[in-house]
Amino acid sequence: MEISNNPRPNDVQPTALRRMTFIWMFTMLTLFPVLLVLGFFMRALQANFMSKLQPEWFYAVLTLHGLGMVGIWYVGSMAGVSYLLGRYVRPSLAISKVAFGATLLGVVLLLACTLIGRMGVGWYFLYPLPLHSKGVWPPWATGAFLGSLAVFGVGWTLWSLDLLRAIAQRYSFSAAMAWHYLKGRSEPEVPPLVLIVTVSMVSALAGFVAAVVVLVLYVAEWLGTGFTNDALLMKNLTFFFGHVLVNITMYLGVAMVYELLPAYAQRPWKTNKVMALAWNTVLFLVMFAYLHHLYMDFAQPHWLQYLGQIASYMISVPAAVVSIFGALVLVYGSRMRWNMVSLLLCFGVMGWAIGGVAAVIDSTVAVNVRFHNTLWVPAHFHTYYLMGVVLMILGFASYLGEERGQLAERMGLTKLTVSLIVVGGYGFLLMFYYGGAHSVPRRYASYPQEVAQGAAYARLALVFISALLLGVLLYLWDTGRRCWRSFSVSS
Amino acid sequence: MPQEQVFYFFIVLAVVIATVFVAVGWSTRQAREVHSGPAYKLRKFFFVGLSVIFLGLLAVTLPRTPYSAEISSPDRIVHVVGKQFAFALSESPISTEKEWEEGTYAAPVEVPAGTSVEFRVTSLDVNHSFGLYSPGHHLIAQTQAMPGYVNRLRVRLEEPGRYTVLCLEMCGMDHHKMRAVMDVK
Repeated sequence: MEISNNPRPNDVQPTALRRMTFIWMFTMLTLFPVLLVLGFFMRALQANFMSKLQPEWFYAVLTLHGLGMVGIWYVGSMAGVSYLLGRYVRPSLAISKVAFGATLLGVVLLLACTLIGRMGVGWYFLYPLPLHSKGVWPPWATGAFLGSLAVFGVGWTLWSLDLLRAIAQRYSFSAAMAWHYLKGRSEPEVPPLVLIVTVSMVSALAGFVAAVVVLVLYVAEWLGTGFTNDALLMKNLTFFFGHVLVNITMYLGVAMVYELLPAYAQRPWKTNKVMALAWNTVLFLVMFAYLHHLYMDFAQPHWLQYLGQIASYMISVPAAVVSIFGALVLVYGSRMRWNMVSLLLCFGVMGWAIGGVAAVIDSTVAVNVRFHNTLWVPAHFHTYYLMGVVLMILGFASYLGEERGQLAERMGLTKLTVSLIVVGGYGFLLMFYYGGAHSVPRRYASYPQEVAQGAAYARLALVFISALLLGVLLYLWDTGRRCWRSFSVSS
Repeated sequence: MPQEQVFYFFIVLAVVIATVFVAVGWSTRQAREVHSGPAYKLRKFFFVGLSVIFLGLLAVTLPRTPYSAEISSPDRIVHVVGKQFAFALSESPISTEKEWEEGTYAAPVEVPAGTSVEFRVTSLDVNHSFGLYSPGHHLIAQTQAMPGYVNRLRVRLEEPGRYTVLCLEMCGMDHHKMRAVMDVK
């Protein structure tokens, strides 16, 4: 299979890197259906099934589901780009192992504080909620929660730094950022993967710095020193970190599409001036887009609110014009080899586009005042997450399974699997969107009478989640056996 | 209801995007050469078109934010204080936990229809969110209730009936039960 920007005669990566990537994918794909079932559980509670269960379980599971999903797809995208970067540079296997160990430890702490400690603070642990348990979670759970975030942060920061180090060994910073393309030069050739990973890792480091500051400020108050934090500052730091992390996951998924899709379309997709300009613009705008999370904090300086809307609108232009349009042109009229990998990558780009539209709508201040913290919010981020970057990463995992082509793909099974995922996924999302349009709040263990229709939407969502879950299980079975065979061959 | 209009607008755009993707996928049934010239022209058109649309939307929507001074001098001021897991609404300032507790048991605040109200919203513990629902149970306005800050939300309450306040920021185990009411006669 010919790959664009072909740097090495043999695309298959060294055995040790392949093995580590398989371990990452195995871990991620084991946790995925578990976290999906937790999502089913929450919608079942909202549908008034299991109504005798204490509501704190809903919030604890919500925390585990949210942080778990954000975490597994972040490491999944990092593992994917690390593997593909191996075509050009040499990321450290040792650092990947350190990140893996940190991730496992963080997961154990997270499981303990949510499922044993019943800590229910959401993925964003908005200050000062972790310090106000109302007797639901014990102090050790707060410590374990902050500890898990610290462990994730250390492991993932090291991993990000290592990818930048690996890139720097072959490309200068200006070359990796493709600045020479802006001056009209195309030498040295920089693959889009390298450009996007560089942009993403620089953003990631900025986000991790904010996360460290948040954790330090939390610990300072938690230790009972009498120090009290500023709620607005903590909110800005938290959403900056959270928004950047989620955006980066998306960009890393897109980087994999840039790297893999050309081989299936049998056309090149190379860095050019417009692409360089677009991704450099993204690096700048991603620093300000998070501000849309704080529109309803009227105490925030108003110019920051306006900046948030402008940045949120403008960041979608390079994404839509360069990456989404570029993917469509790449595929249009090509000799496309349709299979599980290419279908998932293309549906992933489509989910990014549709979710992006919903996100831009919600990033309009005048609209946000009627949509903020309704079901519209999980609707749009599940669209570009579940139907976007998750499909891209699942596409990458399938690519691992077919890289050595040991088991032939059954196209009938592939079509059934993808159909179940797409129909189930979008049906599930539609219930979120419809609920948001009818003012149903998000993050409610059960619905009060004013928004009681939310329970009916949740029941319908359960039908679609069941189809999605079935599709995911089929995917895991099929991809799992193909990956296993491929792994056996490479070991 | 504006939310429904936004929903259907989004659905139309989503269907258009899905149709484009399906059409592009379908085009691969018959392979053909794609010349870069027309593709670049189309991309330029797409870029300019999208930028113009966004700039137009910014020009139309930015003056309509809830911070703009559409209501320069409100008829009434209502103090709102959130605390796990109730809101207290009062036309008198609430600054202590005792006043908050009394406020949670007090009779609902009542204003005449057409009154412009400034809600001064804060919290005594964690972040909450003051979500104001119309008598028809549509979310009409909201602002965060944040410890250490007072957010001022100005709304004209035209429709008579009972308005419900729901907490829209996750605040603990009984977040979904946190509420208050006020009446517009």
